[in-house]
Amino acid sequence: MVLINLDLLSDAELRYIARQEGFSDWETLDREDLTEQLQEKYEEEDEGGQPSRDTISQKRFLTSLTDFGTPGKKSVQLPGVEELPKTYNETSIHLLLRDPQWAYAYWSISPATRGEITGCVQGADPELLLCVVMRDPESGETSSFDIRVGIEDEQWNINLPRIGGVYSVSLLWRKSDGGNITLAKSKPIETFPSYWDDHYDEISMDKNKFNVMFSSVISNEGEVADNAMLRSVARIISKGALET
Amino acid sequence: MKTNNVAIILNAHLPYVRHLEYPRFLEEDWLYEAISETYLPLLRMLKRLSADRIPFKLTLSMSPTLCCMLSDEPLQQRFVNYLQMHRELGEKEVRRTETEQPQYAEMARWYLSRYEQNLEDFEACGHNILPAFRKLEEEGVVELITTCATHAYLPLYQEYPEAINAQIELGIQSHLSSFGHISRGFWLPECGYFPGIEQFLKSKGITWFQTASQSMLLSPDKVENGTFRPVRCPDGLVAFPRDYETTSLVWSNTSGYPCDHRYREFYRDIGYDLPMDYIGPYVEEDGNRIFTGFKYCAITGNGNEKRPYSLADGRRLAKEHAANFLYNVASKSNRIAKTIGKDPLSTLCFDCELFGHWWFEGLDWLEEVIRQSACEECTVKFITPTQFLEDDPELETARPAFSSWGQGGFSSTWLDGSNAWIYRHIHQSIERMEELALRFPDQMSLKRRFLNQAAREILLAMDSDWPFIMYHKSGGQYAQKRLEEHLQNFNVVYSNMCKNAVNTEWLVKAEKKDVIFKDIDYNIFSPKRQ
Repeated sequence: MVLINLDLLSDAELRYIARQEGFSDWETLDREDLTEQLQEKYEEEDEGGQPSRDTISQKRFLTSLTDFGTPGKKSVQLPGVEELPKTYNETSIHLLLRDPQWAYAYWSISPATRGEITGCVQGADPELLLCVVMRDPESGETSSFDIRVGIEDEQWNINLPRIGGVYSVSLLWRKSDGGNITLAKSKPIETFPSYWDDHYDEISMDKNKFNVMFSSVISNEGEVADNAMLRSVARIISKGALET
Repeated sequence: MKTNNVAIILNAHLPYVRHLEYPRFLEEDWLYEAISETYLPLLRMLKRLSADRIPFKLTLSMSPTLCCMLSDEPLQQRFVNYLQMHRELGEKEVRRTETEQPQYAEMARWYLSRYEQNLEDFEACGHNILPAFRKLEEEGVVELITTCATHAYLPLYQEYPEAINAQIELGIQSHLSSFGHISRGFWLPECGYFPGIEQFLKSKGITWFQTASQSMLLSPDKVENGTFRPVRCPDGLVAFPRDYETTSLVWSNTSGYPCDHRYREFYRDIGYDLPMDYIGPYVEEDGNRIFTGFKYCAITGNGNEKRPYSLADGRRLAKEHAANFLYNVASKSNRIAKTIGKDPLSTLCFDCELFGHWWFEGLDWLEEVIRQSACEECTVKFITPTQFLEDDPELETARPAFSSWGQGGFSSTWLDGSNAWIYRHIHQSIERMEELALRFPDQMSLKRRFLNQAAREILLAMDSDWPFIMYHKSGGQYAQKRLEEHLQNFNVVYSNMCKNAVNTEWLVKAEKKDVIFKDIDYNIFSPKRQ
């Protein structure tokens, strides 16, 4: 896919993209208008949760695949193939680690269980909860917090409050009498704190060590590699001297 | 004395794309462009260096999906068609530019000669370039390693050890079948590392793998040498962290060498610039404009006006940048060596297709770097991680941190709002495949083929390219269609096997469609095998 920096394109390319994007006046727009309108269109899409094209399009040599955008052409469907189901006939929950501070949970509730829940609440919204449990692997202590979700929800991004914990999430149904029924429980995921989190002084007071640790994760222009944790460590140790 | 060691690892990978049902399918061009602009020129470059007895060694990871496509006869023939079509376009372009745009004629002639050379070389190697890489490995200029069967991003499959195991085991089997030996190194797709992956690799005889730069600084253990030496993981495998700073000399999208305005512009292509009545036969039949590979301009700068590209300037610049690169590597390594008290090793990881395809002068630059490193005064030596380990170096023991080379340094490229939905379906299919392997172990004949095809469909759905393309959405629906088709196909097997039936019509067609991993054994997904 080629993620295009609009400024680099020829007028012919811009007009072609504008036509593909459905601009009725693609033939008459001048270069400036074409660029501006395409940019606006992409920014609108970005607001819909898509990654920012502007940011990505600056990556001149983002090695990826050319997006040919072949409309309507798909491989021939084989006999007996059906559309993917929206959900599956089971009650389960899964937790995926996106980064040390965020996890993604997705779940499904079987029709039978769903029927039981909705039948009990008789038209009212059932109280469903995600119970996020964190265990400290050293002390064994646990703590937890709940997130209220709706019966139609099926996924959630979960902020992990502490790096260095073992996390799991349970899908709970809180009944009208206040009792909880565990519908499903995820397998645990683990995050690990960086050694340097608790040993900043070892690097910040030793120039040589600082150079060894950081010179390979900072570009010639002083830009720290694209990583929030790394940038946080860099900012603290360098007392703000490193551009992050 | 050469004490500044550099390990360059090139990742040659493309997703499995094969659509013989169409006379021409544009996504197949990913393969043809890569062979034409990167793999064949890389072979020529390595042969030249080998013939000149230049001392160096590179590591080249060739993914199983790529190897399958490179050894597929129909795709080989379609690549010949691609070359012939581009040779024809080249001939037209030489005539046109000589009369209409003489400033571009030199480049038109160059492109024509490249397509002619590619045709000649491709015919000479019997349409299969894999044995040529194998021969270069025997000559000692390259070490070939493998990766996951379909380049799956493994951190998102931690819940499914059978699937991880299948990806790794089939990757190793495929390498053995393509190159006749077990791979010692393993390319972690997208540098995607999670604690515990070593156990899977170790059980298959792998001795080392590469990781992202931040895997060391964010390690839960104290790593004294940063990314300048590999670390030994607690269970014995060795992790080679990528040197971000040195890599960014090349790969920075703002200041890397390829950004120099005198290099050839990738985005300006006659496929967009010339009238359809001329270029039409070389782009898609419905009139879609696409890149043709004929590009005549230098980057120049932003805006519509571009200077004509000069081959001589490009080559001269590549030479200068090669010298600059070696200077930077040597001076940094000397500085680091004094601090850590040992010879450092810089591990540089690149997608192979950067060189030649994206960065037109990339292979000129690489050849120059290697040639210039051979002079006596240069202290830089190009070795492989395997060579580094042969001297049994003293290494720190540490656990790398969860990391990838994707945006943000973790998993967000392959798990965000655009693509998170896929895991519900892929994970479900893996669970069902495990169930089938348990319920129907060691089947024979038709059922075996049916179950084997189900395993292929799941593996193909796990390719990291599909969520990557969705993340960088730019209008194309191909990735989503492919992913859905594989999962839908899997469901055909699952629903039929639940009735103890086989859909033979589906099976015969599916087997013809995706001719990959012909020796696959679906029992690989059985939890009992672990």
